[in-house]
Amino acid sequence: MSFLAQTTTTTTTTGVSFPTVVYTALVWIALVFALVVLFMPDATPEHRRRIKSLGSSGAGAALFFAVWALESQIADVAVGTGGRPAGDLAERHNWLSSFPLASTYHLDADALALAMILMVAVVFFCAALAAWRNERHVKLLTVSLLTLETAAMGILVSYDWVLFLFFWTLPIAPVYLLVRAFGHGHRARAAARYAAGSLVSAGLLTIAAALIAFQAGTHSFDMGVTPQTLPGSGDAVAFWLITAAFLLAMAVVPLHGALLDLEEDSTGVLSAVFAAILPSLGAFGLVQIAVGFFPKVAVGYSLFFAALAVVTVVWAGLAALRADDLRRLIGHVGTILMGVVLLGVAGHTTISVTGIMYLLIGRGLAVAVLMLLASGIQERTRRVRISQLGGLAWQAPYLSAFWLLASLSAAGVPLLAGFTGNFLVFTGSFPAHRWATTVVLAGTLLGAGVLLWTAQRIFLGSSRDTFTRVRDLGPLELTCLGILALVIVVVGVLPGHFVGLFQNGAEYILFPGTS
Amino acid sequence: MADPNGAAVFVTMLPTGLLVVLAGVVALLGWRRPGLPPSFHRWLGSIALVGAGIAAVITFNALKHTSGLGLAAYSGGVVADQFEAFATLLLCATGLVATLSSGAAGGRLGSRTPAFQALVLSATAGGTVIAVQWEMAMLVVGVALLVTSLVGLVALEKAAEAPGEVAFRSLASAGVALALLLYGLAVIYGATGSTDLAATRDQFVHAAPLEGLGLALTLLGLAFLVGAPPLHRWLLQVAAVSSGAVGGAVVSLAIVAGGIALVRVMVSGFSASLRPWVVLAAVLGAAASLYPALLSLVAGSVRRLIGLGACLQGGLLVTALVAGGLGRDYEPAGGVTALLFALVVFVLSIQASFLAVARLDADGIGSRLSDLRGLARRSPTTAVLLGLGLAGLAGLPPLAGFIARILIVGSVVSAGYPWVAAAVVLASVTYTVPVLRWIATLFVEDEELPAVVSTTPRLAGVVAMACAGFGIAASLVAGPLLYAASVAAAALR
Repeated sequence: MSFLAQTTTTTTTTGVSFPTVVYTALVWIALVFALVVLFMPDATPEHRRRIKSLGSSGAGAALFFAVWALESQIADVAVGTGGRPAGDLAERHNWLSSFPLASTYHLDADALALAMILMVAVVFFCAALAAWRNERHVKLLTVSLLTLETAAMGILVSYDWVLFLFFWTLPIAPVYLLVRAFGHGHRARAAARYAAGSLVSAGLLTIAAALIAFQAGTHSFDMGVTPQTLPGSGDAVAFWLITAAFLLAMAVVPLHGALLDLEEDSTGVLSAVFAAILPSLGAFGLVQIAVGFFPKVAVGYSLFFAALAVVTVVWAGLAALRADDLRRLIGHVGTILMGVVLLGVAGHTTISVTGIMYLLIGRGLAVAVLMLLASGIQERTRRVRISQLGGLAWQAPYLSAFWLLASLSAAGVPLLAGFTGNFLVFTGSFPAHRWATTVVLAGTLLGAGVLLWTAQRIFLGSSRDTFTRVRDLGPLELTCLGILALVIVVVGVLPGHFVGLFQNGAEYILFPGTS
Repeated sequence: MADPNGAAVFVTMLPTGLLVVLAGVVALLGWRRPGLPPSFHRWLGSIALVGAGIAAVITFNALKHTSGLGLAAYSGGVVADQFEAFATLLLCATGLVATLSSGAAGGRLGSRTPAFQALVLSATAGGTVIAVQWEMAMLVVGVALLVTSLVGLVALEKAAEAPGEVAFRSLASAGVALALLLYGLAVIYGATGSTDLAATRDQFVHAAPLEGLGLALTLLGLAFLVGAPPLHRWLLQVAAVSSGAVGGAVVSLAIVAGGIALVRVMVSGFSASLRPWVVLAAVLGAAASLYPALLSLVAGSVRRLIGLGACLQGGLLVTALVAGGLGRDYEPAGGVTALLFALVVFVLSIQASFLAVARLDADGIGSRLSDLRGLARRSPTTAVLLGLGLAGLAGLPPLAGFIARILIVGSVVSAGYPWVAAAVVLASVTYTVPVLRWIATLFVEDEELPAVVSTTPRLAGVVAMACAGFGIAASLVAGPLLYAASVAAAALR
């Protein structure tokens, strides 16, 4: 990825040079709001209301910069730079230069990162809105969510290993604290398992980063100057270290237990954020770093990824079929979609990688909606077991409608965000892995069937007496779910708005040497 | 190196002389004028440390253009170079934190405050001797001065019998460590025929078993100072029974001086000759990192957790030594820069943690897990301080301990020891798990107990928060600190 020579840190559209700080603002704005919140009192309802306002404002500001960055890159597609790193918005400054392995403050984003940035910003903004209903540990929740958003954005735009590892490790403590504070059931165990898995993942990446920086001979942690091949078996070792770290984060079978526990034992907005964001960041890393840095090694092991995709989808599909816990069911559906991402990696074509970008947007939004609805159902009925629910559509029609929309999107129904991603991944992967594609497609259909069957069990049937006082979605819930649903529909109806950007980015990931 | 002259003697010995003289003045005043308030001695000690620190800064800048070559005196036995200036500055800053926060020890020091200040100054002086020496006899003098002062500090507290017993045990451990160091140096002298550390490296190339034994004994003796296993029990005992202020002073001064000694002896001293035996340092470093990390999983009190964290940092420092530029034309590699950077941030975390313990002591809060439940609601400042200290020891971002670990891992992999890097990572990961559990106990778990009105002196509180705050700032603006560390490392040739 030797594009350093093209990197620019200023824009000159007005004739006057201004430092480009869009990515810096995108990453740090939420943390600035978090720091302000940290020093605010939270003793009275008025205090807590102010904290929530600032939390929403911080997430809103990040969303603003996310849309700015995305539209700016879409505008650059015509000149060929949109969706590739080293565009006008890239930032690169010396950071730890007085060390034999130098590190830079290098922020940049390609199409995959931009797709994720959009999804992450929307989910966090809606989560901040949804968090208005919480009255416990308000400061902890707000500060942790904003810190998580900074970490997620930082992971997406970091082009330096030290910076990347900094952001990769940053969420561990906030997530651990949030699960311990707001979780239920075996929350301590779930938090500990998540933390252990994340720390191992960070450890593997740390060793890989040091190995790459040393073996590449560049004496730099800057990803922009990392060559595509390392001497000896260095690239294979680094590839597998990185791949193992990100597979752990993606929660694919057989490394899925910790994240499923985390999603099941969390409540409210947290399960939505965890399920939508955390595995997606792992998928981002796998495609962007493992495949992007070592495309030749990745091609050599495409059969492994195809097999892993099949195992993941089949296992998660069967598990979803027998799941009785609403959140765990959604977790399994999310895992199925991660299996589809693996299939896209195995396909290793421009079409399949473009599909991954759409898929990650669609998956994140759909899972977030489903998790928020699951929390809403639990809050209203005090039940989370599917077998104990039924007939809710008569009391909560909006809730039922949103569930159906998100289920259909996750299932890949046309005109919703999930369709384009699924379609492109299956199309792009079929020539190389016909059997795997067929099985994964069948598994995805099974997941879709389970979601629809669940909708039937929860919402349809005769109205139960115990649920007669269940109320429908309130204005706040309608607002945040409405925003998520709107983005699902817009991405589904207008996939062409992004296609140039995503194709450019996919070509760069797979064939970085081409212009 | 320049020829020995009066100016060289003055520059090399100025900080040490200043500290020793003012330690004597403080002790004398404490003895002859017992009515003077503790704050007087505190400020006098601070002036001495600031003065020595300013001298170090001036030396650092004055030697900026000497390409690492410094001023030598006493036939090269002592050398003033940029490493010495960096080390002296760090020692003085560590001593200053200990001095300014000594008020937190309150009644446990009482009328012995002058003795405390005098011992902090003499321990710092011992550290500066270690930093300035390049000769075996001076090294032993410096280490002896340091450990006797530290043992005295532990013995000073009169609140319970335990510190006295721990002081005795520490003295015994220090005796063993000094003996190991002395025998190690004696063996090396026997093998090379020189007590000059710089001279030995040229004669010390055959890797004979005898030389290896000397190096092993020397390394073990110095590992005692940084609390690296197997000679780490003294540190855990001090952490367990001393007040936070005294424990912080003892542990942080020992680790800073120990880190400096490791660099001065093993890198600028033996350097190339150490190469065949670098595996020894690698094994010791890996074991010294993993052992306390594993023990931390079952730590029953926050004092023990912090003590084990300090031992872990010591192990990491030994690990960084593996990448100390060994055998590469005497050019220190990244390991020394990483070690010096880590030394600064580790000591900040250790002091912040111990000062949080000092606040717990002052506020009558225990150190067991059940005592700390919901501390964030009862005493938010103490909880934040303790949380930051523990997170720093674990190397969680955004604290600078994270950057330090990355630098150590990077340099160790560069030196060709990925398995040592894996051990470092595993140790850090292992230690982080209990730290997260304790932090969650502080901030998440609710306990219906009344809020605590802190009785910790304001100055000690400000110093504690400054330590914790610098831990974050050093991470985000790590460039200047790393530059200073690299300049100091470059002087080691």
